[in-house]
Amino acid sequence: MTSRLSPAVTALLDDPETIKILATVGADGAPHAVAKQSLHLGEDGCLHYLELLESSTTNKNMVRSLWFDGTVAITLAHRDGRSVQIKGRPIKVHITGELFQRHYRALRLSDPEADLASVWVIEPVAVTDQNARVRREAEAVRHPHFLHLDRLARAQ
Amino acid sequence: MVCVSRIPRRDEATFAEVLGAHPDFPRLIAIKIDVQRRGLHYTRRAMAAVDPTRHQIYMWEGVAYPHSMLLRDGTTILAYPQPRDRNPYDVDFIDGAFVLIDAGQVVETVELWPKPLYYDKKTSSGLPMKEVVSARPQRLDIFASSFCHFAHVDDQGCQFCPLPHHHSQLREAYDLPTRLKPEDVKECIAEALKEPGRFTNIHITGGSVIKGREMLDAELDYYIKLLRAIGEVFATPRFPSQLLASPFSEKQLIRLREETGLGSYTSNIEVLDEQRFNWICPGKAHHIGYREWKDRLVRAVDIFGRGNVNTGIVGGVETAAPHGFPSEAEALRATLDEAEDLAQKGVTTVHTVWAPQKGSKFSELRSPSLDYFIRLASGLQEIRARHGLSVDFDDYRRCGNHPDSDLARLQ
Ligand code: SF4
Repeated sequence: MTSRLSPAVTALLDDPETIKILATVGADGAPHAVAKQSLHLGEDGCLHYLELLESSTTNKNMVRSLWFDGTVAITLAHRDGRSVQIKGRPIKVHITGELFQRHYRALRLSDPEADLASVWVIEPVAVTDQNARVRREAEAVRHPHFLHLDRLARAQ
Repeated sequence: MVCVSRIPRRDEATFAEVLGAHPDFPRLIAIKIDVQRRGLHYTRRAMAAVDPTRHQIYMWEGVAYPHSMLLRDGTTILAYPQPRDRNPYDVDFIDGAFVLIDAGQVVETVELWPKPLYYDKKTSSGLPMKEVVSARPQRLDIFASSFCHFAHVDDQGCQFCPLPHHHSQLREAYDLPTRLKPEDVKECIAEALKEPGRFTNIHITGGSVIKGREMLDAELDYYIKLLRAIGEVFATPRFPSQLLASPFSEKQLIRLREETGLGSYTSNIEVLDEQRFNWICPGKAHHIGYREWKDRLVRAVDIFGRGNVNTGIVGGVETAAPHGFPSEAEALRATLDEAEDLAQKGVTTVHTVWAPQKGSKFSELRSPSLDYFIRLASGLQEIRARHGLSVDFDDYRRCGNHPDSDLARLQ
Protein backbone atom coordinates (compact mmCIF):
# COMPACT_ATOMS: atom_id res chain seq x y z
CA MET A 1 0.00 0.00 0.00
CA THR A 2 1.37 3.40 -0.95
CA SER A 3 2.03 5.92 1.82
CA ARG A 4 1.98 9.52 0.72
CA LEU A 5 4.87 11.52 2.08
CA SER A 6 3.89 14.41 4.36
CA PRO A 7 5.03 17.97 3.62
CA ALA A 8 7.48 17.68 6.53
CA VAL A 9 9.09 14.56 5.06
CA THR A 10 9.14 16.11 1.61
CA ALA A 11 10.85 19.20 3.02
CA LEU A 12 13.46 17.00 4.70
CA LEU A 13 13.99 15.13 1.42
CA ASP A 14 14.40 18.41 -0.46
CA ASP A 15 16.89 19.90 2.02
CA PRO A 16 20.40 19.69 0.49
CA GLU A 17 21.88 19.25 3.97
CA THR A 18 19.88 16.11 4.69
CA ILE A 19 21.90 12.89 4.73
CA LYS A 20 20.08 10.21 2.73
CA ILE A 21 20.89 6.55 3.29
CA LEU A 22 19.42 3.67 1.27
CA ALA A 23 19.56 0.23 2.88
CA THR A 24 19.01 -2.88 0.77
CA VAL A 25 19.36 -6.59 1.44
CA GLY A 26 21.53 -9.12 -0.41
CA ALA A 27 20.58 -12.66 -1.42
CA ASP A 28 22.26 -13.94 1.75
CA GLY A 29 20.32 -11.49 3.94
CA ALA A 30 23.31 -9.20 4.39
CA PRO A 31 22.30 -5.54 4.81
CA HIS A 32 23.91 -2.96 2.55
CA ALA A 33 23.46 0.71 3.45
CA VAL A 34 24.92 3.53 1.38
CA ALA A 35 24.45 7.28 1.03
CA LYS A 36 22.28 8.17 -1.98
CA GLN A 37 22.09 11.94 -2.05
CA SER A 38 20.18 11.79 -5.33
CA LEU A 39 17.06 10.52 -3.52
CA HIS A 40 14.22 12.86 -4.33
CA LEU A 41 10.47 12.98 -4.72
CA GLY A 42 9.41 12.02 -8.23
CA GLU A 43 6.44 13.45 -10.07
CA ASP A 44 4.57 10.20 -9.42
CA GLY A 45 4.73 10.67 -5.61
CA CYS A 46 7.37 7.95 -5.27
CA LEU A 47 10.98 8.26 -4.22
CA HIS A 48 13.48 8.26 -7.07
CA TYR A 49 17.23 7.88 -6.96
CA LEU A 50 19.98 7.76 -9.56
CA GLU A 51 22.06 4.60 -9.67
CA LEU A 52 25.37 5.35 -11.32
CA LEU A 53 26.87 1.87 -11.38
CA GLU A 54 25.20 -1.01 -13.17
CA SER A 55 27.12 -3.66 -11.24
CA SER A 56 26.89 -2.11 -7.77
CA THR A 57 25.64 -4.18 -4.85
CA THR A 58 22.80 -1.73 -4.34
CA ASN A 59 21.68 -2.04 -7.94
CA LYS A 60 21.66 -5.83 -7.74
CA ASN A 61 19.79 -5.75 -4.45
CA MET A 62 17.26 -3.36 -5.94
CA VAL A 63 16.70 -5.69 -8.91
CA ARG A 64 16.24 -8.60 -6.50
CA SER A 65 13.75 -6.60 -4.44
CA LEU A 66 11.77 -5.65 -7.52
CA TRP A 67 11.73 -9.22 -8.80
CA PHE A 68 10.81 -10.85 -5.51
CA ASP A 69 8.69 -8.16 -3.90
CA GLY A 70 11.26 -7.16 -1.28
CA THR A 71 11.48 -3.89 0.62
CA VAL A 72 14.21 -1.34 1.23
CA ALA A 73 14.71 1.27 3.96
CA ILE A 74 15.63 4.90 3.50
CA THR A 75 16.91 7.04 6.35
CA LEU A 76 16.80 10.81 6.10
CA ALA A 77 18.76 12.58 8.83
CA HIS A 78 19.44 16.29 9.33
CA ARG A 79 21.86 17.84 11.77
CA ASP A 80 19.00 19.90 13.22
CA GLY A 81 17.63 16.62 14.67
CA ARG A 82 14.97 15.83 12.10
CA SER A 83 15.13 12.19 11.08
CA VAL A 84 12.72 9.77 9.42
CA GLN A 85 12.84 6.25 8.12
CA ILE A 86 10.86 5.31 5.02
CA LYS A 87 10.16 1.69 4.20
CA GLY A 88 9.59 1.29 0.50
CA ARG A 89 9.22 -1.13 -2.36
CA PRO A 90 11.18 -0.80 -5.61
CA ILE A 91 8.47 -0.90 -8.28
CA LYS A 92 10.16 0.31 -11.44
CA VAL A 93 13.48 1.19 -12.96
CA HIS A 94 14.05 3.56 -15.85
CA ILE A 95 16.95 2.48 -18.06
CA THR A 96 15.91 4.51 -21.09
CA GLY A 97 13.25 7.02 -22.10
CA GLU A 98 12.55 10.67 -21.40
CA LEU A 99 12.94 10.68 -17.63
CA PHE A 100 16.17 8.67 -17.81
CA GLN A 101 17.69 10.91 -20.44
CA ARG A 102 16.70 14.07 -18.58
CA HIS A 103 18.58 12.83 -15.50
CA TYR A 104 21.48 11.65 -17.66
CA ARG A 105 21.93 15.11 -19.18
CA ALA A 106 21.72 16.86 -15.80
CA LEU A 107 24.12 14.41 -14.19
CA ARG A 108 26.69 14.78 -16.95
CA LEU A 109 26.50 18.56 -16.63
CA SER A 110 27.25 18.37 -12.92
CA ASP A 111 29.86 15.61 -13.25
CA PRO A 112 31.35 15.07 -16.72
CA GLU A 113 32.98 11.80 -15.55
CA ALA A 114 29.71 10.22 -14.44
CA ASP A 115 27.51 7.74 -16.26
CA LEU A 116 23.97 6.79 -15.33
CA ALA A 117 22.85 3.17 -15.05
CA SER A 118 19.28 3.63 -13.93
CA VAL A 119 16.69 5.76 -12.20
CA TRP A 120 14.94 3.70 -9.54
CA VAL A 121 11.39 4.27 -8.39
CA ILE A 122 10.60 3.32 -4.79
CA GLU A 123 7.03 3.33 -3.58
CA PRO A 124 6.88 4.43 0.07
CA VAL A 125 4.89 2.00 2.21
CA ALA A 126 5.57 3.29 5.75
CA VAL A 127 7.17 6.37 7.29
CA THR A 128 8.52 6.43 10.86
CA ASP A 129 9.65 9.60 12.62
CA GLN A 130 13.13 8.79 13.93
CA ASN A 131 13.67 12.05 15.81
CA ALA A 132 15.15 11.05 19.19
CA ARG A 133 12.63 12.97 21.31
CA VAL A 134 9.66 11.70 19.33
CA ARG A 135 10.88 8.10 19.53
CA ARG A 136 11.55 8.42 23.31
CA GLU A 137 8.10 9.76 24.00
CA ALA A 138 6.47 7.03 21.93
CA GLU A 139 8.48 4.36 23.79
CA ALA A 140 7.46 5.80 27.17
CA VAL A 141 3.78 5.58 26.25
CA ARG A 142 3.89 2.10 24.72
CA HIS A 143 6.48 0.43 26.96
CA PRO A 144 6.47 2.03 30.44
CA HIS A 145 8.58 -0.88 31.83
CA PHE A 146 11.50 -0.14 29.54
CA LEU A 147 13.56 2.29 31.59
CA HIS A 148 16.11 2.43 34.38
CA LEU A 149 14.71 2.99 37.86
CA ASP A 150 17.28 5.63 38.80
CA ARG A 151 15.61 7.91 36.29
CA LEU A 152 12.44 7.79 38.43
CA ALA A 153 14.13 8.15 41.83
CA ARG A 154 13.38 11.19 44.02
CA ALA A 155 16.17 13.72 44.02
CA GLN A 156 18.08 13.40 47.33
CA MET B 1 -10.75 -7.65 -15.00
CA VAL B 2 -10.81 -6.62 -18.63
CA CYS B 3 -13.28 -7.93 -21.11
CA VAL B 4 -11.60 -9.41 -24.15
CA SER B 5 -12.55 -12.52 -26.03
CA ARG B 6 -11.38 -15.68 -24.26
CA ILE B 7 -9.21 -17.93 -26.33
CA PRO B 8 -9.12 -21.55 -25.25
CA ARG B 9 -5.82 -22.22 -23.51
CA ARG B 10 -3.53 -24.72 -25.05
CA ASP B 11 -3.33 -28.05 -23.34
CA GLU B 12 -0.59 -27.08 -20.90
CA ALA B 13 -0.05 -25.95 -17.32
CA THR B 14 -1.11 -22.38 -16.51
CA PHE B 15 1.42 -19.61 -16.03
CA ALA B 16 0.72 -19.58 -12.27
CA GLU B 17 1.20 -23.34 -11.99
CA VAL B 18 4.51 -23.22 -13.83
CA LEU B 19 5.83 -20.25 -11.89
CA GLY B 20 4.67 -21.84 -8.64
CA ALA B 21 7.06 -24.70 -9.34
CA HIS B 22 9.94 -22.19 -9.72
CA PRO B 23 9.68 -19.81 -6.75
CA ASP B 24 13.25 -18.57 -7.28
CA PHE B 25 12.62 -17.53 -10.87
CA PRO B 26 11.58 -13.88 -11.41
CA ARG B 27 7.97 -13.56 -12.49
CA LEU B 28 8.80 -10.73 -14.89
CA ILE B 29 11.33 -12.84 -16.78
CA ALA B 30 8.81 -15.70 -16.93
CA ILE B 31 6.30 -13.25 -18.43
CA LYS B 32 8.86 -12.19 -21.00
CA ILE B 33 9.48 -15.80 -21.99
CA ASP B 34 5.80 -16.63 -22.18
CA VAL B 35 5.05 -13.59 -24.33
CA GLN B 36 7.92 -14.46 -26.67
CA ARG B 37 6.79 -18.07 -26.84
CA ARG B 38 3.14 -17.33 -27.51
CA GLY B 39 3.44 -13.98 -29.29
CA LEU B 40 1.34 -10.86 -29.16
CA HIS B 41 -1.85 -9.41 -30.44
CA TYR B 42 -2.34 -5.63 -30.31
CA THR B 43 -5.94 -4.59 -29.75
CA ARG B 44 -7.40 -1.79 -31.87
CA ARG B 45 -7.35 0.44 -28.79
CA ALA B 46 -3.64 -0.26 -28.32
CA MET B 47 -2.88 0.41 -31.97
CA ALA B 48 -4.80 3.69 -31.77
CA ALA B 49 -2.68 4.73 -28.78
CA VAL B 50 0.60 4.08 -30.56
CA ASP B 51 2.23 7.41 -31.27
CA PRO B 52 4.65 7.24 -34.22
CA THR B 53 6.32 10.43 -33.00
CA ARG B 54 7.31 8.74 -29.72
CA HIS B 55 7.23 4.98 -30.34
CA GLN B 56 9.19 2.75 -32.66
CA ILE B 57 7.16 1.18 -35.42
CA TYR B 58 8.31 -1.93 -37.26
CA MET B 59 7.22 -3.76 -40.39
CA TRP B 60 6.87 -7.53 -40.18
CA GLU B 61 5.28 -9.48 -43.00
CA GLY B 62 3.73 -6.32 -44.41
CA VAL B 63 2.12 -5.28 -41.12
CA ALA B 64 3.23 -2.21 -39.16
CA TYR B 65 3.20 -2.64 -35.38
CA PRO B 66 5.06 -1.31 -32.33
CA HIS B 67 8.58 -2.61 -32.18
CA SER B 68 8.49 -4.41 -28.84
CA MET B 69 8.15 -3.43 -25.22
CA LEU B 70 9.80 -2.85 -21.88
CA LEU B 71 8.66 -4.24 -18.57
CA ARG B 72 8.92 -2.10 -15.43
CA ASP B 73 12.21 -3.78 -14.40
CA GLY B 74 13.81 -2.64 -17.69
CA THR B 75 13.46 -6.09 -19.25
CA THR B 76 12.91 -6.02 -22.99
CA ILE B 77 10.28 -8.21 -24.62
CA LEU B 78 11.03 -8.74 -28.28
CA ALA B 79 7.97 -10.52 -29.56
CA TYR B 80 6.01 -10.69 -32.75
CA PRO B 81 2.33 -10.75 -33.53
CA GLN B 82 1.07 -14.31 -33.76
CA PRO B 83 -2.22 -15.75 -35.00
CA ARG B 84 -5.01 -16.45 -32.52
CA ASP B 85 -4.47 -20.20 -32.55
CA ARG B 86 -1.07 -19.65 -30.92
CA ASN B 87 -2.89 -18.15 -27.92
CA PRO B 88 -0.97 -14.84 -27.95
CA TYR B 89 -1.02 -12.29 -25.15
CA ASP B 90 -3.10 -9.20 -25.88
CA VAL B 91 -1.63 -5.74 -25.60
CA ASP B 92 -4.32 -3.22 -24.71
CA PHE B 93 -4.35 0.45 -23.69
CA ILE B 94 -6.22 1.06 -20.44
CA ASP B 95 -6.28 4.14 -18.18
CA GLY B 96 -3.47 5.78 -20.10
CA ALA B 97 -1.10 2.81 -20.06
CA PHE B 98 -0.26 -0.13 -22.30
CA VAL B 99 -0.97 -3.42 -20.54
CA LEU B 100 -0.34 -7.09 -21.21
CA ILE B 101 -3.41 -9.25 -20.93
CA ASP B 102 -3.64 -13.01 -20.58
CA ALA B 103 -7.02 -14.72 -20.57
CA GLY B 104 -8.78 -11.45 -19.88
CA GLN B 105 -6.57 -10.46 -16.92
CA VAL B 106 -4.12 -7.59 -16.86
CA VAL B 107 -0.78 -9.13 -15.95
CA GLU B 108 1.61 -6.17 -16.26
CA THR B 109 1.93 -2.64 -17.53
CA VAL B 110 4.42 -2.24 -20.36
CA GLU B 111 6.06 0.60 -22.25
CA LEU B 112 6.65 0.65 -25.97
CA TRP B 113 10.21 1.12 -27.12
CA PRO B 114 10.95 4.83 -27.37
CA LYS B 115 11.81 6.23 -30.76
CA PRO B 116 15.28 7.75 -31.04
CA LEU B 117 15.70 11.22 -32.54
CA TYR B 118 17.69 10.07 -35.57
CA TYR B 119 14.78 7.92 -36.81
CA ASP B 120 13.24 10.76 -38.80
CA LYS B 121 16.46 11.60 -40.63
CA LYS B 122 17.97 10.42 -43.90
CA THR B 123 21.55 9.66 -44.82
CA SER B 124 23.24 11.98 -47.30
CA SER B 125 22.74 9.16 -49.83
CA GLY B 126 18.98 9.48 -49.24
CA LEU B 127 18.28 6.35 -47.16
CA PRO B 128 15.98 6.48 -44.14
CA MET B 129 18.35 6.19 -41.19
CA LYS B 130 15.98 3.95 -39.23
CA GLU B 131 16.25 1.33 -41.97
CA VAL B 132 20.03 1.45 -42.02
CA VAL B 133 20.58 1.32 -38.26
CA SER B 134 17.67 0.33 -36.07
CA ALA B 135 17.41 0.88 -32.35
CA ARG B 136 16.63 -1.09 -29.25
CA PRO B 137 16.10 0.76 -25.99
CA GLN B 138 19.86 1.02 -25.41
CA ARG B 139 21.45 -0.54 -28.48
CA LEU B 140 22.12 0.33 -32.10
CA ASP B 141 21.39 -2.57 -34.44
CA ILE B 142 22.97 -3.05 -37.82
CA PHE B 143 21.64 -5.79 -40.06
CA ALA B 144 24.48 -5.35 -42.47
CA SER B 145 23.52 -7.87 -45.11
CA SER B 146 20.33 -9.68 -46.00
CA PHE B 147 22.24 -12.19 -48.08
CA CYS B 148 23.03 -15.54 -46.49
CA HIS B 149 24.94 -18.09 -48.53
CA PHE B 150 23.42 -21.04 -46.69
CA ALA B 151 19.88 -19.85 -47.35
CA HIS B 152 20.18 -18.17 -50.72
CA VAL B 153 22.78 -20.22 -52.59
CA ASP B 154 22.65 -23.71 -51.14
CA ASP B 155 19.02 -23.70 -49.96
CA GLN B 156 20.46 -25.00 -46.71
CA GLY B 157 19.41 -22.14 -44.45
CA CYS B 158 18.71 -22.81 -40.79
CA GLN B 159 15.23 -24.23 -40.60
CA PHE B 160 13.95 -21.83 -37.94
CA CYS B 161 15.31 -18.70 -39.65
CA PRO B 162 13.00 -16.17 -41.31
CA LEU B 163 15.61 -13.43 -41.41
CA PRO B 164 16.97 -13.60 -44.97
CA HIS B 165 13.37 -13.76 -46.25
CA HIS B 166 12.26 -10.92 -43.99
CA HIS B 167 15.21 -8.66 -44.63
CA SER B 168 15.05 -9.17 -48.37
CA GLN B 169 11.47 -7.87 -48.14
CA LEU B 170 12.58 -4.83 -46.17
CA ARG B 171 15.47 -4.12 -48.49
CA GLU B 172 13.14 -4.19 -51.47
CA ALA B 173 10.52 -2.02 -49.76
CA TYR B 174 13.04 0.69 -48.92
CA ASP B 175 15.37 0.19 -51.87
CA LEU B 176 18.24 -0.58 -49.53
CA PRO B 177 21.37 -2.23 -50.91
CA THR B 178 21.76 -5.97 -50.13
CA ARG B 179 24.81 -5.01 -48.13
CA LEU B 180 24.85 -1.69 -46.28
CA LYS B 181 27.52 0.82 -47.21
CA PRO B 182 29.91 1.54 -44.33
CA GLU B 183 29.62 5.33 -44.91
CA ASP B 184 25.83 5.17 -44.53
CA VAL B 185 26.13 3.20 -41.30
CA LYS B 186 28.79 5.54 -39.93
CA GLU B 187 26.61 8.56 -40.68
CA CYS B 188 23.63 7.04 -38.86
CA ILE B 189 25.69 6.14 -35.80
CA ALA B 190 27.22 9.61 -35.61
CA GLU B 191 23.69 11.03 -35.71
CA ALA B 192 22.39 8.58 -33.10
CA LEU B 193 25.16 9.51 -30.66
CA LYS B 194 23.95 13.11 -30.64
CA GLU B 195 21.21 11.95 -28.27
CA PRO B 196 22.89 11.75 -24.85
CA GLY B 197 22.17 8.68 -22.71
CA ARG B 198 20.37 6.82 -25.47
CA PHE B 199 22.72 3.98 -26.44
CA THR B 200 25.22 1.70 -24.73
CA ASN B 201 26.16 -0.78 -27.44
CA ILE B 202 26.44 -1.40 -31.18
CA HIS B 203 25.39 -4.76 -32.54
CA ILE B 204 26.29 -5.86 -36.04
CA THR B 205 25.10 -8.95 -37.83
CA GLY B 206 24.20 -10.32 -41.25
CA GLY B 207 23.95 -13.55 -43.15
CA SER B 208 26.93 -15.83 -43.75
CA VAL B 209 29.14 -15.21 -46.79
CA ILE B 210 31.52 -18.08 -47.38
CA LYS B 211 33.40 -16.66 -50.39
CA GLY B 212 37.04 -15.65 -50.19
CA ARG B 213 40.61 -16.86 -50.48
CA GLU B 214 40.09 -18.52 -47.14
CA MET B 215 36.47 -19.49 -46.54
CA LEU B 216 34.56 -16.52 -45.00
CA ASP B 217 37.21 -13.96 -46.02
CA ALA B 218 34.63 -11.95 -47.96
CA GLU B 219 32.39 -11.69 -44.88
CA LEU B 220 35.35 -10.80 -42.69
CA ASP B 221 36.69 -8.14 -45.09
CA TYR B 222 33.32 -6.46 -45.17
CA TYR B 223 32.95 -6.42 -41.39
CA ILE B 224 36.45 -5.02 -40.99
CA LYS B 225 35.60 -2.19 -43.37
CA LEU B 226 32.34 -1.56 -41.60
CA LEU B 227 33.86 -1.60 -38.12
CA ARG B 228 36.70 0.69 -39.17
CA ALA B 229 34.19 3.17 -40.55
CA ILE B 230 32.19 3.00 -37.31
CA GLY B 231 35.41 3.35 -35.32
CA GLU B 232 35.99 6.77 -36.87
CA VAL B 233 33.03 8.04 -34.85
CA PHE B 234 34.77 7.22 -31.54
CA ALA B 235 37.66 8.89 -29.76
CA THR B 236 38.82 5.61 -28.21
CA PRO B 237 40.41 2.69 -30.09
CA ARG B 238 37.79 0.24 -28.73
CA PHE B 239 34.10 0.83 -28.29
CA PRO B 240 31.31 -1.29 -26.74
CA SER B 241 30.20 -3.45 -29.64
CA GLN B 242 29.23 -6.98 -30.59
CA LEU B 243 29.72 -8.69 -33.91
CA LEU B 244 27.48 -11.68 -34.50
CA ALA B 245 29.09 -13.40 -37.45
CA SER B 246 30.22 -16.68 -38.92
CA PRO B 247 32.84 -18.68 -37.04
CA PHE B 248 36.07 -17.23 -38.30
CA SER B 249 39.39 -19.05 -38.21
CA GLU B 250 42.05 -18.04 -35.74
CA LYS B 251 43.89 -16.05 -38.38
CA GLN B 252 40.72 -14.23 -39.33
CA LEU B 253 39.82 -13.53 -35.70
CA ILE B 254 43.23 -11.99 -35.09
CA ARG B 255 42.64 -9.63 -38.02
CA LEU B 256 39.18 -8.79 -36.68
CA ARG B 257 40.58 -7.97 -33.25
CA GLU B 258 43.65 -6.09 -34.43
CA GLU B 259 42.21 -4.13 -37.34
CA THR B 260 39.03 -2.93 -35.66
CA GLY B 261 37.76 -1.53 -32.36
CA LEU B 262 35.32 -4.40 -31.87
CA GLY B 263 34.59 -5.19 -28.21
CA SER B 264 33.10 -8.68 -28.34
CA TYR B 265 32.50 -11.57 -30.69
CA THR B 266 29.58 -13.94 -31.09
CA SER B 267 29.02 -16.82 -33.44
CA ASN B 268 25.73 -18.62 -33.06
CA ILE B 269 25.85 -22.39 -33.04
CA GLU B 270 22.03 -22.35 -32.69
CA VAL B 271 21.66 -25.94 -31.41
CA LEU B 272 23.90 -27.59 -28.81
CA ASP B 273 23.77 -31.13 -30.13
CA GLU B 274 25.63 -32.40 -33.17
CA GLN B 275 22.90 -34.59 -34.60
CA ARG B 276 20.20 -31.90 -34.28
CA PHE B 277 22.60 -29.22 -35.50
CA ASN B 278 23.18 -31.24 -38.67
CA TRP B 279 19.43 -31.45 -39.29
CA ILE B 280 18.42 -27.94 -38.25
CA CYS B 281 21.38 -25.99 -39.65
CA PRO B 282 22.41 -27.96 -42.75
CA GLY B 283 24.39 -25.11 -44.30
CA LYS B 284 26.39 -24.52 -41.15
CA ALA B 285 26.93 -28.25 -40.78
CA HIS B 286 28.03 -28.66 -44.39
CA HIS B 287 30.50 -25.78 -44.57
CA ILE B 288 31.84 -25.63 -41.02
CA GLY B 289 30.59 -28.56 -38.94
CA TYR B 290 29.53 -28.74 -35.32
CA ARG B 291 32.87 -29.60 -33.74
CA GLU B 292 34.81 -27.08 -35.77
CA TRP B 293 32.24 -24.43 -34.81
CA LYS B 294 32.83 -25.14 -31.15
CA ASP B 295 36.61 -25.16 -31.64
CA ARG B 296 36.53 -21.80 -33.36
CA LEU B 297 34.52 -20.30 -30.51
CA VAL B 298 37.07 -21.55 -28.02
CA ARG B 299 39.93 -20.12 -30.06
CA ALA B 300 38.14 -16.78 -30.14
CA VAL B 301 38.46 -16.61 -26.34
CA ASP B 302 42.25 -16.50 -26.66
CA ILE B 303 41.91 -13.52 -28.97
CA PHE B 304 39.01 -11.53 -27.52
CA GLY B 305 39.39 -12.63 -23.89
CA ARG B 306 37.12 -14.38 -21.38
CA GLY B 307 33.79 -12.65 -21.02
CA ASN B 308 33.96 -11.25 -24.55
CA VAL B 309 32.96 -14.34 -26.55
CA ASN B 310 29.65 -16.10 -26.61
CA THR B 311 27.40 -18.24 -28.74
CA GLY B 312 23.67 -18.08 -29.17
CA ILE B 313 21.22 -20.93 -29.34
CA VAL B 314 17.62 -20.81 -30.48
CA GLY B 315 16.25 -22.15 -27.23
CA GLY B 316 13.67 -24.86 -27.76
CA VAL B 317 14.40 -25.61 -31.40
CA GLU B 318 16.22 -28.73 -30.27
CA THR B 319 12.78 -30.17 -29.47
CA ALA B 320 11.40 -29.54 -32.98
CA ALA B 321 9.51 -32.42 -34.55
CA PRO B 322 10.26 -34.86 -36.04
CA HIS B 323 14.03 -35.16 -35.45
CA GLY B 324 14.45 -33.08 -32.32
CA PHE B 325 14.85 -34.59 -28.87
CA PRO B 326 11.85 -36.72 -28.00
CA SER B 327 11.49 -35.21 -24.52
CA GLU B 328 12.15 -31.82 -22.97
CA ALA B 329 14.18 -33.49 -20.20
CA GLU B 330 16.60 -35.03 -22.71
CA ALA B 331 16.85 -31.81 -24.67
CA LEU B 332 17.65 -29.84 -21.54
CA ARG B 333 20.27 -32.26 -20.29
CA ALA B 334 22.07 -32.40 -23.63
CA THR B 335 21.98 -28.63 -24.11
CA LEU B 336 23.25 -27.78 -20.64
CA ASP B 337 26.00 -30.42 -20.84
CA GLU B 338 27.30 -28.84 -24.02
CA ALA B 339 26.98 -25.32 -22.59
CA GLU B 340 29.00 -26.52 -19.60
CA ASP B 341 31.70 -27.85 -21.91
CA LEU B 342 31.91 -24.49 -23.70
CA ALA B 343 31.88 -22.54 -20.43
CA GLN B 344 34.82 -24.57 -19.13
CA LYS B 345 36.73 -23.24 -22.13
CA GLY B 346 35.62 -19.63 -21.64
CA VAL B 347 32.66 -19.43 -24.03
CA THR B 348 29.33 -18.42 -22.54
CA THR B 349 26.00 -19.43 -24.08
CA VAL B 350 22.84 -17.34 -24.36
CA HIS B 351 19.47 -18.42 -25.67
CA THR B 352 16.59 -16.85 -27.48
CA VAL B 353 13.05 -18.17 -27.21
CA TRP B 354 12.05 -20.14 -30.26
CA ALA B 355 8.66 -19.06 -31.53
CA PRO B 356 8.14 -20.58 -34.98
CA GLN B 357 8.02 -17.72 -37.48
CA LYS B 358 6.34 -17.22 -40.81
CA GLY B 359 8.95 -17.34 -43.55
CA SER B 360 10.89 -20.13 -41.81
CA LYS B 361 10.76 -23.83 -42.63
CA PHE B 362 9.68 -24.59 -39.07
CA SER B 363 6.80 -22.11 -39.17
CA GLU B 364 4.11 -24.70 -38.43
CA LEU B 365 5.83 -26.30 -35.43
CA ARG B 366 5.22 -25.65 -31.77
CA SER B 367 7.71 -24.33 -29.24
CA PRO B 368 8.25 -26.17 -25.95
CA SER B 369 6.69 -25.38 -22.59
CA LEU B 370 7.27 -22.38 -20.36
CA ASP B 371 8.69 -24.78 -17.80
CA TYR B 372 11.34 -25.84 -20.31
CA PHE B 373 12.42 -22.28 -20.97
CA ILE B 374 12.59 -21.44 -17.27
CA ARG B 375 14.86 -24.44 -16.70
CA LEU B 376 16.96 -23.55 -19.74
CA ALA B 377 17.43 -19.90 -18.73
CA SER B 378 18.24 -20.83 -15.12
CA GLY B 379 20.58 -23.61 -16.22
CA LEU B 380 22.57 -21.42 -18.59
CA GLN B 381 22.89 -18.65 -16.02
CA GLU B 382 23.98 -21.11 -13.31
CA ILE B 383 26.69 -22.45 -15.62
CA ARG B 384 27.87 -18.93 -16.41
CA ALA B 385 28.03 -17.96 -12.75
CA ARG B 386 29.76 -21.21 -11.77
CA HIS B 387 32.52 -20.58 -14.30
CA GLY B 388 32.86 -16.90 -13.41
CA LEU B 389 31.98 -15.80 -16.92
CA SER B 390 30.33 -12.47 -17.57
CA VAL B 391 27.96 -11.59 -20.38
CA ASP B 392 28.06 -7.80 -20.03
CA PHE B 393 28.05 -7.20 -23.78
CA ASP B 394 24.90 -9.28 -24.32
CA ASP B 395 22.88 -8.62 -21.17
CA TYR B 396 19.37 -7.30 -20.43
CA ARG B 397 20.37 -3.83 -21.55
CA ARG B 398 22.99 -4.28 -24.27
CA CYS B 399 20.73 -6.86 -25.93
CA GLY B 400 17.54 -7.81 -24.08
CA ASN B 401 16.66 -10.91 -26.07
CA HIS B 402 18.07 -13.60 -23.78
CA PRO B 403 16.15 -14.60 -20.64
CA ASP B 404 19.28 -16.26 -19.23
CA SER B 405 21.37 -13.11 -19.53
CA ASP B 406 18.51 -11.11 -17.95
CA LEU B 407 19.19 -13.25 -14.88
CA ALA B 408 22.85 -12.16 -14.96
CA ARG B 409 21.71 -8.85 -13.43
CA LEU B 410 22.05 -10.58 -10.06
CA GLN B 411 25.42 -12.21 -10.79
S1 SF4 C 1 20.42 -18.20 -38.89
FE1 SF4 C 1 21.22 -19.54 -40.51
S2 SF4 C 1 19.97 -19.14 -42.33
FE2 SF4 C 1 19.57 -17.47 -40.87
S3 SF4 C 1 20.96 -15.87 -41.55
FE3 SF4 C 1 22.04 -17.03 -39.94
S4 SF4 C 1 23.20 -18.62 -41.02
FE4 SF4 C 1 21.70 -17.77 -42.49
